[in-house]
Parts: sequence; structure tokens; C-alpha cells
Amino acid sequence: MIRGKKPAPAFLLLLVFFLAFFSGYDLAQQDTPEEQSQTAQAEKEKEKIVPSPKNIKESTDIYVFVGWIWLAVCVLVFFLRLKIKEVDRLYRLGYFSQKKK
Amino acid sequence: MGNMKTEIRFWFDERLGISSIAGFLRKKMVPQHRHSLWYYTGSAILLFFAIQVVTGFMLAFYYKPTLEGANQSVARIMTEVPLGWIIRSIHSWSASFMIAFVFIHLLSIWIAKSYRRPREFTWMSGVFLLVFTLASGFTGYLLPWDELSLSATKVGTDIPRSVPYVGVWVTKFLRGGEDVTGDTLTRFFSFHVSILPLLIFAFIAVHVYLIQKLGMSLPLSVESKKEKVKELPFWPNFIYREMVVWLLLFGILMTLAIFLPPSLEKTADLMAPAPEGLRPEWYFLFLFQTLKVFPPKVLFINGDTIVVLLILAAVILFFFLPVIDNKPAEKKGKVITFFAYVFIVFAVAMTVWSLL
Repeated sequence: MIRGKKPAPAFLLLLVFFLAFFSGYDLAQQDTPEEQSQTAQAEKEKEKIVPSPKNIKESTDIYVFVGWIWLAVCVLVFFLRLKIKEVDRLYRLGYFSQKKK
Repeated sequence: MGNMKTEIRFWFDERLGISSIAGFLRKKMVPQHRHSLWYYTGSAILLFFAIQVVTGFMLAFYYKPTLEGANQSVARIMTEVPLGWIIRSIHSWSASFMIAFVFIHLLSIWIAKSYRRPREFTWMSGVFLLVFTLASGFTGYLLPWDELSLSATKVGTDIPRSVPYVGVWVTKFLRGGEDVTGDTLTRFFSFHVSILPLLIFAFIAVHVYLIQKLGMSLPLSVESKKEKVKELPFWPNFIYREMVVWLLLFGILMTLAIFLPPSLEKTADLMAPAPEGLRPEWYFLFLFQTLKVFPPKVLFINGDTIVVLLILAAVILFFFLPVIDNKPAEKKGKVITFFAYVFIVFAVAMTVWSLL
């Protein structure tokens, strides 16, 4: 009678142990502080909002936008350099001092 | 057509006196020598301040300075508001650029000794602007109300506590109570968006007025040569050169803001312990590291108290530098310039150390 009742829980225990063993889950060992910290860090990263392009279209748009900014900066700097040369020449000729009079 | 244009110009000139301003700017001259590059740092600060004001207004349309709304509203700006993340990133990066240029500007003046007679008040107004700019950065850091900003504010507002007699009161005043709470957030918000910008505007007005009144200074090394220095009219020759610098800085700012936007962590929990790797913004790192490495007790006196008192003394000496350095060309003046280099090395070394 006793023999007939015992196998069921023992069998279940063995089954859980084997399932846990083959699924790679360690029943005895707990996370080390380092692992816990890594898990917490990973969870934190999940909650963190980092703005970044969501797809290839958005990332292309960003590169194009930055390209346009620098193109505009270069063109404006080019014209400003011409303007600087011109006003320096006028200053050397005394154009502004004549204008003052 | 030409006649109409002249009439419109005359109409505005009669009311606003534009021609007299233009005349004044044309008469204003800028010295040209091998240290002229430092003259551009002043206008760069103005550029970044203007960007701060514009982007700050845009962010204020959506930001909610409440315990429940602060972090969520910043998250909304970053995820839902069109181009919100870029605006926030530009605001954050331009703040860093502004503070960096304020430091560079003041250090260049310190080394060139441009604060000497009669420019003492120009220097002092500049030191006030440095303090207000740093305060803007400090108050703005709490506004996203995430874990890191809350802990950094707790540490930052706790520092004055070690000052004898007034320290506890200063901490309470900054926090709006014993601890950092929702009252601190609203307090910091009002400081960040109204009181400090108004003070910065007022002191910039005084600073610019003094520069216009006294003219651009010459570095001591150039002045001592007693040679005639080449000059350029401020308008239009120097302004065009400044525009080139502004455009390049704007390009760099936009590139950094787009590729390295600041992130946002989860809502701050008032009861949670301080997170690991707690650090203030880069411009406070050297002070933070100094406090960290200083011994906790020196001859029965609290280490923090000594550091805070030393920092206060340094700020006061820095403010009165033109009065202290009354013989800039002599040995005393050279020692004071040497301290400028010592400060640069110390600040850079401490910052790097805290990042390691």
C-alpha cells in the first residue's frame, strides 16, 4: 500500500528536475550580484527612451537633413568670404570714411 | 520706386533712429592681432543663448512642471511631438556649448589680462554671467525628472549644507523644504525659465554696454609692444567674419544634436536609492571629483566644509581678480596668470579622473 502511493510524487519530482535540466534552468543556483545588476541594467535600458530613427526611411531622412544643413553652411560661408574680401577692399580704399563725411 | 524706398527708410529712421546706430557701429573698431580669435567667443555665447531662448520657448509649450507630468511630458516631446527630440537635443547641446564658451571666454580674458583698468566692471559682470549660466544648467538638469536628475539634484543641493551658519538655510531655500520634492521641481522650473534668463538678459545688457563704452581691449602682451595695431570696422567687416563663425558653430551644433541626442530615463522615484554611476553634468565634474577625493576629516573639521569654503573663496577671489591683479605687467601679475594655467590643468585632470 505504501509502495503503491509513493511513485507518483517521486515521478513528478523527477520529471520537473529533468525538464528543468534540459531547459537549462538551474534550480539551486541564484543570480549572482553581477548578474542581478546586469538584469537591472537591461531592464533600465528597456525603460530608457533613446531617440533614434525607427526605420531606413527615417535614418535616410536624417542624413539628408544633415547634408542639407552643411551644404547651406558651405554656400553661405562661400558668399560671406566674397563679401568679406569686398568690404576689406572698400575699407582699404577708404570708402567708408568718405561715406561718413 | 527708389524714391519710395528712401521714404520708407526715412519713415523708420525718424521713429527708430536706425542711422545713428549704424553710424555708431561703423565708427566702432576691432583690433586685429594674433590673439583676435578670442574676440569671437563673446558673440558665440550670444548665439547659443539666443538658441537656448528659442528652443526653450518651444519646449515650454509641452513641458509640465509637476511630479506626475514632468517625465511624461518630456517623453511625449521626444516620442510624439514632431521634431520634439531634435528641439530638446538642440536645447541640451547649446547649453553645453554656451557654458563651454563662457569658460573659454573668461579664461582667455584672464590670460590676456583684459580685465585691467578701466574694465573691472566688465569682468565682474562676466563672472555674474558665468554663475547664472551654471545655475541655468543646474536647474535645467532636474526638469526631465528622471532617476539620474533627481539623485544629482539631491547631491547638488546638499553641498551648501556644509557651509557654517547659512548652509542649512540655503539647502532649504533651493529645495523648497527639507528634501527634493515636487516643490523643488516647480521652484527650479521658475528659476530656469524666468528668473535666471531675466538676470542673464540684464547682465548681458550691462556687459555689452560696457564693451561698447570702453571698446575692445588689447591683450597685455600686444599692448606692451607699443606698436600701432591694425584695426577693422565692426560693421560690416567684423560682423561678416562673426557670421562665418556662427554658421560653422551652428552646423556643428546641429550635427551633434541629431546624432547624439540626450536620452530620458524612467520617472524618478522619491523613495528609491541613488542609482549607480551618479554623475553631474560635465561642467560640474571637476568640483564633484574634488569633493569625492578630499579626505572626510581634516583636523576634526568636515572635509566637505573645507572644500565648499575653498570653492567659495576661489569664486570671491575670481570675482575681485581685477582688483587683486593691480600690477599686471609685474611679477605678481605673472603669478596670477600662472594660476590660470594651473586651474585649467586641475579642472581637466579632475574631469578626466571622474570619467574613468
